[in-house]
Amino acid sequence: MAIWIDALRLTIGVNLLLILGLLSVWGQNYLQFRSKHTLGLFVFGLMLFSENLLALYFFLFDPVLHVWFSADMPMIAQRAIMLIRVFETIALVFLTWITWD
Amino acid sequence: MEGVLWYVFTGTRGGPNRVRIVRTLRERPRNANQLAEDLNLDYKTVRHHLDVLLENNILDCGGDGYGAIYLISDQAGQHWETIEQISEQMG
Repeated sequence: MAIWIDALRLTIGVNLLLILGLLSVWGQNYLQFRSKHTLGLFVFGLMLFSENLLALYFFLFDPVLHVWFSADMPMIAQRAIMLIRVFETIALVFLTWITWD
Repeated sequence: MEGVLWYVFTGTRGGPNRVRIVRTLRERPRNANQLAEDLNLDYKTVRHHLDVLLENNILDCGGDGYGAIYLISDQAGQHWETIEQISEQMG
């Protein structure tokens, strides 16, 4: 089992949790303010959540892709994908930091 | 300033309470203790929100320490229409 793929799954899990936190704040604010700004943030969060959920499905459950990502994909490609995910996680940590305030 | 106002008031967890604080201070300036009483909020919560609002130049502060009086900053006053718009939507 490739360690990069495990790390990848972990970052996706962290991303999903952070986005859930953001969605709870933005969702409550949307219900209270009903403005286009709060709606925009909420929909943005929803789409980013879907993106991560889809990624998790591809890496963990999809019968064809799951095997390909774990076993057949060259290490260099695994690292590249991992790097992109790490940047997303860092971005989400900072966004959560200013939002959970 | 506009972007800051929208995010501080409608993008964050404490946003709705910050709107209440700014509305109340618009009526007349108060200190943290009076605000906590008038809004029925925890003193520490109010202090935290006041610090955030000061840091973002939405409020100004006169005096020091416990009795410090908080008021709407000139900059926020110039954008009062935006704050009003946010506040109206909150109902």
